[in-house]
Amino acid sequence: MNRKNIVISCILVIMLSLFVYSCSKKSEAKGKIGMTCMDLTNPFFKLIADIMQAEAAKYGYEVVSLSGELDPAKQNNQLSDFVAQGYDAIFLNPVDSKAAGEGVKKAYEAGVPVFTFDVQVTDEQAKDMIVSHIGSDNYQGGLLAGESMMKVTGDNGKIALITYPEVTSCILRVNGFKDYLKEHNSKLEIVTELSGKGNRSDGYSVVTEILTAQPDIVGIFAINDPSGLGACAAVQKANKTELVTIIAFDASPAGKQAVFEKKLYDSPQQFPRNMAKGTVEAFIKHLSGEEVPKKNFIPCAHYYYEDSVSDESRIAEQW
Amino acid sequence: MQKLFSDYGMVLVLIVLCLLFSALTFKEQTPLGSNAIIEILEQINSKFDKSDIILAVGVAKKDSAPFAEKVGEKLKEAGYSKTRVVVGTPRDLKLALDDIKAEGSRPAAIATSGDVVKWRVIELMPQSHPEFMGCELLSPESYMWPDFLKRSNLLAIVDRIVVIAIIAIGMTMVIITAGIDLSVGSLIALAAVISTLIMKKLGGLQASGWVVLIGFFGGMLCCGIIGAVGGVIVSRFKVAPFITTLSVMMIARGLAFMITGGYSIYQVPKALPWLGQGRLLGMPNTVILLIVLYVAAHIFMAHTRTGRYIYAVGGNQEAARLSGVPVKSVIVFVYVISSLAAGLGGCIQTSQLNTGAPNIGVMYELYVIAAVVVGGTSLSGGSGRILGTLIGAFIISVIQNGMNLLAIESYKQQVVLGAVILGAVLLDKARRAGRLPAFLLKKKETMN
Repeated sequence: MNRKNIVISCILVIMLSLFVYSCSKKSEAKGKIGMTCMDLTNPFFKLIADIMQAEAAKYGYEVVSLSGELDPAKQNNQLSDFVAQGYDAIFLNPVDSKAAGEGVKKAYEAGVPVFTFDVQVTDEQAKDMIVSHIGSDNYQGGLLAGESMMKVTGDNGKIALITYPEVTSCILRVNGFKDYLKEHNSKLEIVTELSGKGNRSDGYSVVTEILTAQPDIVGIFAINDPSGLGACAAVQKANKTELVTIIAFDASPAGKQAVFEKKLYDSPQQFPRNMAKGTVEAFIKHLSGEEVPKKNFIPCAHYYYEDSVSDESRIAEQW
Repeated sequence: MQKLFSDYGMVLVLIVLCLLFSALTFKEQTPLGSNAIIEILEQINSKFDKSDIILAVGVAKKDSAPFAEKVGEKLKEAGYSKTRVVVGTPRDLKLALDDIKAEGSRPAAIATSGDVVKWRVIELMPQSHPEFMGCELLSPESYMWPDFLKRSNLLAIVDRIVVIAIIAIGMTMVIITAGIDLSVGSLIALAAVISTLIMKKLGGLQASGWVVLIGFFGGMLCCGIIGAVGGVIVSRFKVAPFITTLSVMMIARGLAFMITGGYSIYQVPKALPWLGQGRLLGMPNTVILLIVLYVAAHIFMAHTRTGRYIYAVGGNQEAARLSGVPVKSVIVFVYVISSLAAGLGGCIQTSQLNTGAPNIGVMYELYVIAAVVVGGTSLSGGSGRILGTLIGAFIISVIQNGMNLLAIESYKQQVVLGAVILGAVLLDKARRAGRLPAFLLKKKETMN
């Protein structure tokens, strides 16, 4: 045997052992549920996937979690795979609210029940085929953010919004925020609305520019924690920590820590655990022949410094 | 046979993978054919009176739905007048059970197939309907068959790879000329966006099938022009293909986002899904298209002058030029073909999604290149086969599908896919050098 053969044999052995490893995991589950979400590298969805797995295991079901990797075509392939394999149900968090409709139709035609979480499917035909949806009440969360903003600024001054107009849930947050200000005849003036694309680095650069153009703003509302934390960094760099209050959204592990360090004033909290549990519950209710509510919105809650001090999930760096 | 294996060594890998996944997904299956119906009827005949209530239950839209309806029909013919057919969701079964309870009677048996047995309604029956004690659950005897080899799954394997396989035709030609095309993934998105934009402007939802064709044509034309520009830059200005197509990749992706402003286009004609989701004579259109394109490309590469020119350019550009091959035109030609293939891929993807989205096709160039290389085409140019590429594409598809069947999670899938691609290529290298382990060589002789 020459060296090449040894290398090849090694690789074959590694391949085989990987397969065997995966097989040994194969349990005698009663059935399988396919789950696909926007992006499994996002800890929010990873947590949801883990909780779904644990919850479904209680009823003897196995959850296969796949990542749509922010690619609607890839996600639709995953949906057709689930259908082809005759899974018992699909838990879907659509990458694209409309494009996912095609996958949902396929599943419906094949008799596989689809449950959505976090983001709704908005395709005209497909949305009626969804058995049940569970998600955060983003509009109500936006109202909470508006309330906090009015409170902390004493309802006076200029504020900026860091938005993410590509995503429905983020639009709803902004709408809730604005509606709260309008209803309460707020004197706050929204001087600028720019997209932070929901991530830290874009949030940072956008806020840096805002601070240059509008040096006298007193508050910033960012539609999620990453862009809110980007805003924090920009404000810190401009030495305006005392002058500008930032409100984010999500109460993610990093967000909770920032609230504790008083970098963020509030971060209306989402409850991914309840979302995951609720989805599995809806599936079990469906199997039991009970009536399943078409839509279920979990209200958000304020997350202030006082909440963070003794919050064990913050210390454990969890949602 | 010997020739087949030496020409397309990867067939062996594909077969091994198929066997492996078949063995690993071997599972109990429920029969639903006419034999199963007869079997169920016999069971009922031997155990129950004609006055008993029999429930025939099937899952809505699934194969068990016609099964339940057939069983119900046959039972009524046989004189079981109180037979009820329930086809639907667990909720429908629960309502039917409640209904029977309200009438004050009880079902003697529930005849059904695999899926229904798993419903919790049935599990919970002792608690929810204790007075139905003794109600029997009848289902046809199961048999063993791998999930992997089910018809629906085999179609899913082909379906998921169509776009990549079609683009791989163009990529094979480019790589044979010792080039590379990184722009195909972005061109998918550009074609998708442009074609749906044309359809939207020409009438949107109400537009006819012709508008769809015009849209596809427009999308592919744009890609073709971009490919021609890229080809000219590579051939005339001698810019490395890697850099040229990398730039085109960024430009095309940026254009796709610019045109739509980051949103997807939904206002598309009703005829759009025909290409990607329709069927002709029982075969999905995409599969027919795939076969036609591969046969044409194989004939073109192996039996036409231009096809041979492509090999010549990749083998030794200078020698090809001296022997009168129009090297520059050949290079422009392969980039145009590659871009057109990407454009077609974009049209198919649009049709499958019924949407023009600017964010599709990310990373596709790498899967396409992997398919070509696994298929035995050398990245240094001059050699390679179109049908080898098809096999390469299938290897990737089978691995992805098989791992989904085995419920391997996303993170691990990437590790396995990478390892298998590497292993396959190494194996192919060793085979070409005639250094296969002895046991594999022996097998090949016996096959002969």
